[in-house]
Amino acid sequence: MTDAATSIPLILMTALSAGASLIAIRPLRPETQSKAGSGSSAIQHLFVGAVALGSITVLIVRWLGLRQSWSPVESHVDGLLLMCALFAGAVLFIQRRPKLRGLAAFALPLLTLMLLWAVCASLWTYRPFNLASIASAWLVFHTVSTYIGLLSCAIGAIGGAMYLYMQRRLKTKQALPGRLASLETLETLIIRTATLGFVLLTLSLLSGVILITRNDTPDATPLGADWWLSPKVILATLAWAVYALLMNVRHATAFRGRRAAWLAIAGLVLVIATYGVVEAIEKREAAADSTAVRVFNSRCLDRAPGCHTTARRAAVCERTWTAVALAHSKPAYGPVVWHPKWSPPSTGRAGKGVTSCAS
Amino acid sequence: MRLLMVGLNHKTADVASREAVAMDAGQAGALLRRLRERYAAAEAVLISTCNRTELYVARPVHAEPDAEGVRRLLAEQSGVAYEKLAATTMHREQEQAALHLFHVCAGLDSMVLGEPQVQGQVRRAYELAQDQGTVGPVLHRLFQGAVAAGKQARSETGIDAGRTSVSSVAVAFARNIFDHFNDKTIAVIGAGEMIKGAAHALLRERPGRLWIVNRSPQRATDLAQRLAGQVEGDTQIAPRPWADLDALLIEADIVVSCTGANEPVVRVDRFKPLLKPRRNRPLFLIDMAVPRDIDPAIGAMNNVYLYNLDDLQQAVGVTTDDRHAQRDRCEHLLNAACARCMGEIRHRDLGALVKQLRTRLNTIADEEQQRTQRKLAAQGVANDRHDAVIREHNHRLINKILHLPLSQLDRTDPDAPLGFYAAALRRLFDLEDEPTLPVSTDNPHDAPPPAGSSTL
Repeated sequence: MTDAATSIPLILMTALSAGASLIAIRPLRPETQSKAGSGSSAIQHLFVGAVALGSITVLIVRWLGLRQSWSPVESHVDGLLLMCALFAGAVLFIQRRPKLRGLAAFALPLLTLMLLWAVCASLWTYRPFNLASIASAWLVFHTVSTYIGLLSCAIGAIGGAMYLYMQRRLKTKQALPGRLASLETLETLIIRTATLGFVLLTLSLLSGVILITRNDTPDATPLGADWWLSPKVILATLAWAVYALLMNVRHATAFRGRRAAWLAIAGLVLVIATYGVVEAIEKREAAADSTAVRVFNSRCLDRAPGCHTTARRAAVCERTWTAVALAHSKPAYGPVVWHPKWSPPSTGRAGKGVTSCAS
Repeated sequence: MRLLMVGLNHKTADVASREAVAMDAGQAGALLRRLRERYAAAEAVLISTCNRTELYVARPVHAEPDAEGVRRLLAEQSGVAYEKLAATTMHREQEQAALHLFHVCAGLDSMVLGEPQVQGQVRRAYELAQDQGTVGPVLHRLFQGAVAAGKQARSETGIDAGRTSVSSVAVAFARNIFDHFNDKTIAVIGAGEMIKGAAHALLRERPGRLWIVNRSPQRATDLAQRLAGQVEGDTQIAPRPWADLDALLIEADIVVSCTGANEPVVRVDRFKPLLKPRRNRPLFLIDMAVPRDIDPAIGAMNNVYLYNLDDLQQAVGVTTDDRHAQRDRCEHLLNAACARCMGEIRHRDLGALVKQLRTRLNTIADEEQQRTQRKLAAQGVANDRHDAVIREHNHRLINKILHLPLSQLDRTDPDAPLGFYAAALRRLFDLEDEPTLPVSTDNPHDAPPPAGSSTL
């Protein structure tokens, strides 16, 4: 379901979000006057509200249309949509708080970037999650804590960006357009989001470790045997350490002020990089496996009529190697029934991929 | 009537020269009394604030004092050498002087455009001069016009809207640094007018504590008492000894400094060791003193925000691009009001002159009538009827001659060169300008106030 029903609303929402960003940024530019008309702010509210509602609607439509399991988050696009909806909701809240005036101008570009990412994820890099493991409560726990943690980190980072902006304006003694979110408010925001981010990242890390080590054959984990030295784990731990420091910045006074703001931004970059690393690793493996998987897939579809029980499922099967794993080793799960006469996948690579995925 | 202004302000003189000449109410009263003794016919008002000391004098045309005389008077009263004063003061005459007063009153001449305090200061200066009996109809009309025009300009152009005074600009910046003030400590260094204004503006934010340090502890105590009497909320206000300054710089979140010191009070080598015990809390420093009290290098330190007077003014200028348009409108309005006011003063002047002219002509006519009567009596043809006929004849003749020129003067033509006419009349008929103040009184306090000058 990477079709128009997802992509077109996403592109529209990206445009709305970009428009809202422009409206929000305009009064903060040094050369403009503080004449933020109530009309333009109402339009900004409307746009953000439309994005929040739109993201949720697309997510629900996808869930109902694709329904593979009880979880609405079936692919990376779904995850991004959930985040966009939550983030847009957060922006709506930010816009209504007079104490956080001006912060929306920093949040909205990030929302636009997230929507753009979702557009990419829907158009070019569509990849459903490992269906076999969706059954695992730990993975759901891991995903949810990571997404909400990422949201918290993102708000902290925009707080940091605005802190740097305000600090620059105040240091260069340029008058600010009215009363914006004060440095103190922003610092409090950074500390609070860092605390929340820290808690959620801790949960996410722990559940991630459980997911990795739960396997009987550590050799077969997605991150390899020495998973604790893998870039993903190292980056995640680094991000975790950054937030541990950041939430105590009022006591670790050497990092107060500008450094804390930079740390908040660095934290978000680290969290995203953590995600990006795993994406890249899995992509590489997926690309190597894809040929073998396709062969295996076609064989599976040829030989097992049960595979065609639902057309939707078949479509997913064709695109994902995880479905192959599902068919291969978990006969009790899902509609594809394994036939004992089928031979295992012919190539070693595919076999490895299947094994690892089945875990 | 000649209008004259001699004075110095922030555009013509540095802070030291301004401070040397600045006068409090007592000194200003003494200066006005001295002027009254020396130049009995002159009206005078002295405006003295921290940014300006300006003496406005209205005198008969050919009378004393001139600009030099006023300068000498200022020099004598303030104890500043005449040469030094001459270098830093400016002088304006007639329309220029009047327009300057209108600009001052509307806040156009202030450091911060449109700042509202100056209006009250001008009013108080006027009232003080009235108490001293040095205000006559001319200055009364002028100051009344200036205060009214200032008020009108502010309300119509909105030039004073929002953050107009330096203190409120500083508070606006403070609000962008701090979220709430009830747990914040403010330290003020100095106890002058600027400090008082800033403390007032900051107290409106209801800070937790306000400490006052001053080299002379008595003034700090006085200021603390005065502020404590006016404050709402539960802000702690107390004077602190000068030796506590370092401790205060550690404790404070906002520091306002405005002392008369020639050397910086807070130097880098003094402040740097304090950063660590401050635990890098943000510090907002406002340096209102000229020359500076706080070393500018401190402003580059982490989590320290240092603003001096120039920065605050610049900030006001930047936030309000349309201030220029407002300024133009304001000037336009003030020009018109000033021209109206000067026109009225001129008309009043001219009225007196015409009256004088008539009196002069009537005197000549009376003298000539007596001569004619004597001649007629010598010829034996004089009687009472002739007297009446001659008197009527003279009267008609004077009226006929004066009719055309006076009708020119009476015409309410804004372009009529009334000043030129007045000067010509004075020169051609050798008329003297009459003093507007009663001259004969020995004690100026007994002088009856000029009509209609009791209120502004």
